[in-house]
Amino acid sequence: MTCGGGEENPEGVKQAEVVVGIPSCNEADWIPFVTEQAAIGLATYFPGYRSALINCDHGSRDHTRSAFLSVPTPVPKISLATPAGVTGKGNALRSLFLKALELGARAIVVVDADLRSITPRWIKNLGEPLLAGYGFVSPVYVRPRFDGTITNHFAYPFLRALYGRRIRQPNGGDFGFSAEMARLYLESDLWDEHVSLWGIDIWMTTLAIQSPYRVAQAFLGGPKIHRIKDPGTAFNSMFVDVLYTLFRLLESHEETWTQVRWSKPVPIFGLGPGENESLPPSQANEEQFHQACVEGFARHLPLCRRVLAGEVLGQLAEVARLSFEHFELPPDLWARAVYDFAAAFHAGKEPRADLVRALIPFYLGRACSFLKSTRGAQPHRVEDVIEQQCLIFEETKPYLLERWLETGSSSAG
Amino acid sequence: MPRIMVVDDEASIRMLYREEFEDDDYEVIEAEDGERLLERIAREKPDVIVLDIKMAAYDGLDLLQEIRQHHHDLPIIISSAYGAYKGDYKTLAADYYVVKSSDLSELKQKVKKALEGKVPVKAKAER
Repeated sequence: MTCGGGEENPEGVKQAEVVVGIPSCNEADWIPFVTEQAAIGLATYFPGYRSALINCDHGSRDHTRSAFLSVPTPVPKISLATPAGVTGKGNALRSLFLKALELGARAIVVVDADLRSITPRWIKNLGEPLLAGYGFVSPVYVRPRFDGTITNHFAYPFLRALYGRRIRQPNGGDFGFSAEMARLYLESDLWDEHVSLWGIDIWMTTLAIQSPYRVAQAFLGGPKIHRIKDPGTAFNSMFVDVLYTLFRLLESHEETWTQVRWSKPVPIFGLGPGENESLPPSQANEEQFHQACVEGFARHLPLCRRVLAGEVLGQLAEVARLSFEHFELPPDLWARAVYDFAAAFHAGKEPRADLVRALIPFYLGRACSFLKSTRGAQPHRVEDVIEQQCLIFEETKPYLLERWLETGSSSAG
Repeated sequence: MPRIMVVDDEASIRMLYREEFEDDDYEVIEAEDGERLLERIAREKPDVIVLDIKMAAYDGLDLLQEIRQHHHDLPIIISSAYGAYKGDYKTLAADYYVVKSSDLSELKQKVKKALEGKVPVKAKAER
């Protein structure tokens, strides 16, 4: 196997048992700190192992690559870059899978390049379970209530209800995986355009849950501080990729998720006393979400009429008439809307890209409702609300099964 | 008959749970603390554990982590007089969290749900 794209390996690294990968795109200002912390983590907690840091870049136009390579570190560094014109976090991680296997890595940890709260312990907590035999390690951290909206309102409750595993941050961006999982990812025939972009994190988590390898979580403390994107704008493309990926994987894993009832916890490593839970103030624009929900519903109404069950459509229409002050999109309605769209995606009668885009307004509506109801709430209260939403997704799952069977399947659009 | 292991240092709580659950056709095993708990679990093979948090000599949340490392799929229900522990991330390793009450309907419902839980793929995965 060869590594695609450009590679700089100034120290001629040929072997590494523990690898930290840092995917990036235009992160020159942010990557030096993450590189430093990851290097300290490798040197401190994995002193008996050969290790390496790998930056896998996807289309940076700034000097991310040189910013990474110029950080003085006690472990060697390799820089990978996707070929010109090829972008996407998924593509960057694919080059990491290849390189990590080429180096003979046993444990591969990935951390985002824009982190501010990363400490060397993150590397320990994500890496150690891999050396103890786990195949995949997902992060758990405290996040501001306006951060991780796709995770909180879609990825976590949906994945948990469907596959029965409570992986709190399935789309967190920071994780660890074994060489066996890297091989499984490379050999999977479920790779597509959405996975090559932002669908990669949820794709990796879902495949790990379905794999023969054990999954764990690592507590990384809190709060997670990184460059926060506005859920109302920059997150739309991420939402499309995540949703498309999850919906598509339902078809490949139909035999298993239809048998799952309720959910089970997953072991957590790295928990310690006295974690800092103070969070930065809210920055999300709730009114903007409300407006986007109302306008989006009107724009996608013809498609919604074909896709949503009559009762769900009627209730959503009522919700869309509410002013911002009285606006509420309750979790049970959100769950049924998601399940209606999942069934329609499976049916293949509507263009899949249209379906995925048409769900965005309701996602923003649910996020708006959640943010309104958790104003000023402590993190544990916010978690309570998210937990309730998850239970509703689990309780409503028979509705998805019913709709799934009703709609049947035809060719994908 | 499903076996419930009640881990609680208060004898009155263990007695209450025993009476209530036996009436509902469960077999109840009592453990007054975390002493040799893993050994007991391996020997007595409970189907579900109801675990207290604040015990005189043991921290239930530490016990929870210890049990979970060895028994990935054994249902564990936290039963605590304190709702505040819900905010502790360690509780994510439990199947459910119930605040203690003289009315056991919520606890019974969670026990039933925990026993109904079915995740067939993971059973294959955790080899």
